[in-house]
Amino acid sequence: MRAEFFEPFVEGSFRVLREVLSAEPERGPLSLRSGKTFTTQELTTLIGVNGDVEGVVLFAMSFNSALKIASQMMGDVVTEFDEMAASAINELGNMITGNATTALEQNGFECDITPPSLIQGIGNQITTTTPALLVPVSTRYGDIEMNLALAESAKSRARAA
Amino acid sequence: MGQTILLVDDALYMRTVLKKILAAQGFDILEAANGAEAVASCLENNPDLVLMDITMPEMDGIAATKAICEAAPDAKIVICSALGQQQMVVEATTAGASDYITKPFQPDEVLAAVQRNLAA
Repeated sequence: MRAEFFEPFVEGSFRVLREVLSAEPERGPLSLRSGKTFTTQELTTLIGVNGDVEGVVLFAMSFNSALKIASQMMGDVVTEFDEMAASAINELGNMITGNATTALEQNGFECDITPPSLIQGIGNQITTTTPALLVPVSTRYGDIEMNLALAESAKSRARAA
Repeated sequence: MGQTILLVDDALYMRTVLKKILAAQGFDILEAANGAEAVASCLENNPDLVLMDITMPEMDGIAATKAICEAAPDAKIVICSALGQQQMVVEATTAGASDYITKPFQPDEVLAAVQRNLAA
């Protein structure tokens, strides 16, 4: 995947996590998943990207991390992963993807995003159109695995040619 | 009677956060979870201001802003979205939005935008 596609997501995630969690995130080593199959963790938020860059972004985490992150976002202790907690976790993915696509536009790639969907349960397989780049991000409230299965669209490539 | 603000966002979390910020300032709050609900609520309740997300199922915030402003040209709509693309800001203002704030936001930013637009 082109660096100009994933860098906005790393920067966007750091900006959003700093603001909503008041915590300094850290990035782990990047790796490219082999093949086009993504296997879900306990919770996975899926957001589609379309336009000059196409694909999906998957934010995967454990229930434990989600409860701690939702607690910090809501300023209250969350002990049950209810509709409100699910909404907070999905909104976190929405804000990161929204910030990243704003930066993509500044790099010349106009994109829109879909509303987030939440997948619960380990081991569900999602086939993406392109192998995902795995970006691990840790905070003191828990770890988030950002998976970026994104590629430049045929329309954008044709315009650039 | 206080002024009424319609919060439009598909995320229950975001509506709850915004409601907490604005209700504490004495505003009466209405909620809608997508653009279609927002249009119906505006026609029925005529709120003083609308805080509108963009990325929503059924009808997005740009289409809802356009529909509301066609029916009520004096409607005050502030976009509150994670998308900050210049193209999106242009589309929103063309549709009739009067202001635009991006998520994540600080409570002060929301209050400033609400007060600025209610005073306009």
